[in-house]
Amino acid sequence: MQTGNRRSAAGTYLLLMTLVVLFAGPFGWLVLAALKTPAEWAAVPTRILPAVPQWDNFVRAVTDINFAAYTLNSLFLSTLYATLVTISSAAVGFGFARLRGRGKRTLFVIVLSTMMLPQILTLIPTYVLFSRIGLVNTYWPWVLWGLSASPFLVFLFRQFFAAIPAELEDAAIIDGCGYGRIFTLIFLPLSRPVLVTSFLLSFTWTWGDFIAPALLLDIDHTTLSVAITAWYRDPHGNAIPTVQAAAAALYILPVLMIFLFAQRYFIRSVVTSGVKG
Amino acid sequence: MLTGGVRGERRVGWSRYSSRTFYLFVSPWVLGFLLLTAIPLVYAFVMSLTNFDGSSDRWRWVGFRNYVELLDDGDAWASLGRTLVYAAIAVPLSVAGGLGLAVLLNRRLKAVGLFRTIFFLPSVVPVVAMAIMWKLVFNRDAGILNAAIETVGFEAVTWLVDPLAFYALIILTLWGLGGGMVIMLAALQGVPAELEEAALIDGAGGWLVFRHVTVPMISPVIFFQVVTGMITSFQILVQPLLLAETNSIAEVGKVPQSTHLYMVQVYQEFFASNRFGYGSAMLWVFFLIILLITLAVQRSSRLWVHYEVDNDADR
Repeated sequence: MQTGNRRSAAGTYLLLMTLVVLFAGPFGWLVLAALKTPAEWAAVPTRILPAVPQWDNFVRAVTDINFAAYTLNSLFLSTLYATLVTISSAAVGFGFARLRGRGKRTLFVIVLSTMMLPQILTLIPTYVLFSRIGLVNTYWPWVLWGLSASPFLVFLFRQFFAAIPAELEDAAIIDGCGYGRIFTLIFLPLSRPVLVTSFLLSFTWTWGDFIAPALLLDIDHTTLSVAITAWYRDPHGNAIPTVQAAAAALYILPVLMIFLFAQRYFIRSVVTSGVKG
Repeated sequence: MLTGGVRGERRVGWSRYSSRTFYLFVSPWVLGFLLLTAIPLVYAFVMSLTNFDGSSDRWRWVGFRNYVELLDDGDAWASLGRTLVYAAIAVPLSVAGGLGLAVLLNRRLKAVGLFRTIFFLPSVVPVVAMAIMWKLVFNRDAGILNAAIETVGFEAVTWLVDPLAFYALIILTLWGLGGGMVIMLAALQGVPAELEEAALIDGAGGWLVFRHVTVPMISPVIFFQVVTGMITSFQILVQPLLLAETNSIAEVGKVPQSTHLYMVQVYQEFFASNRFGYGSAMLWVFFLIILLITLAVQRSSRLWVHYEVDNDADR
């Protein structure tokens, strides 16, 4: 019995280690590629390690294209959207959790269904519409998207606010508070973990988004995600995979940092949507 | 509920205030829904009745001609078929894989948090970085995957062209199944231990308990995963574009046929052929197909999803 258990535990760890190689492998291969010379990268048979780490690839990654400007664009757009969408979603979530009005159930069902609506379906016509009214190559689309709340985040806030005991707001109402102050003075401070979750999630969405900036923004306004896809070229127009790998490593670094330090916030969001939904 | 002891007329005033405030609070979403979801959808429908090319003002109404043409469009239907096959492979594998990993980690193991982090991590990697990474892994001559294949004595293969590009896309999708794993893990932890223990004491084996106690208990979560997984698979566009050996996403024609999914076809009609009217018709047909499939899956859920009493139903 004892040895059987030990053997099965060893088997489990062996399986887990294999899976770790499969899941972490691509990260490792990216970093290794980013540290190779082009010749080492293309060498046959394949070389695993570079002879000398080519840190110069990272220098080229940030100098071959206007890396700083695109990073700033990405940062600005992500922060702008994350801030707006967090505030608007908190307000809408509060409305659905604590207030009453005719048609509330129907509206909430629509919120949940739009969560299921593929965004790409609306994005292309939105792009055509925005290009006709001159909103292309501006950041106004992200302001509008931010102000109009995200169904997913609305749901996240609504679940949190709905679980708060009614006594709290009853007391505030007796003290003469309106819902505006109840929301800003009582519920918002209480929801700090959800605010953080919402901000980090929406920040990484925008940071990682490709198709919206690819459609809506030109070469000067676009984000890092678009910039790193195609613009690392040698004078003959051939792609330079080693430099692109370095750029991709730099590009995902903020997302990985956010994830590693705030993993519980990510877990909270997927769990609320997936289990309690 | 909060007006016990207050006179009726104040109650009416309060409820009017509350309802006005409700509309005020949800107005950002209502306006956003109208302006950024409903209007674009209607606009796409209007476009689908024209031969608009995206820029010139010399378009005209063509009625339902785009839809009629779509009926005979072999490329469009082929791409729809590929999309359905892709979803039919990727969704069950992702859900089963996520569940498998969750079961594996739902035990007392050393460093379980570390394993969870490593498996969860790929699901938050931005799609652009994911594509760049996997292109390096899949590279014909320099990729680690072919190096591994050759080490064990097989011939290197060309991953990113037909027919293997399709499987490369599936592998890329499965790499991100850690998000589902986290949901499953939380669901498994919500299954009362007494239930499984009781079944074990009654003599049921581990697999039987899993199959007849654990899986039914978490079936609503599995169902949710299937639905969201399907929706995600249907709209996949960026991955095929970025995995293709193109210099820019404008070269949509270079996407291998096996990963030329429906949204790639739509994208091509819009931005390579400038057929905005036709592309819009394709979007609308897709919208209706997705709606039908989602409803059908919802219907089927009554047969296999086990719901506990919903104590949240009255909110």
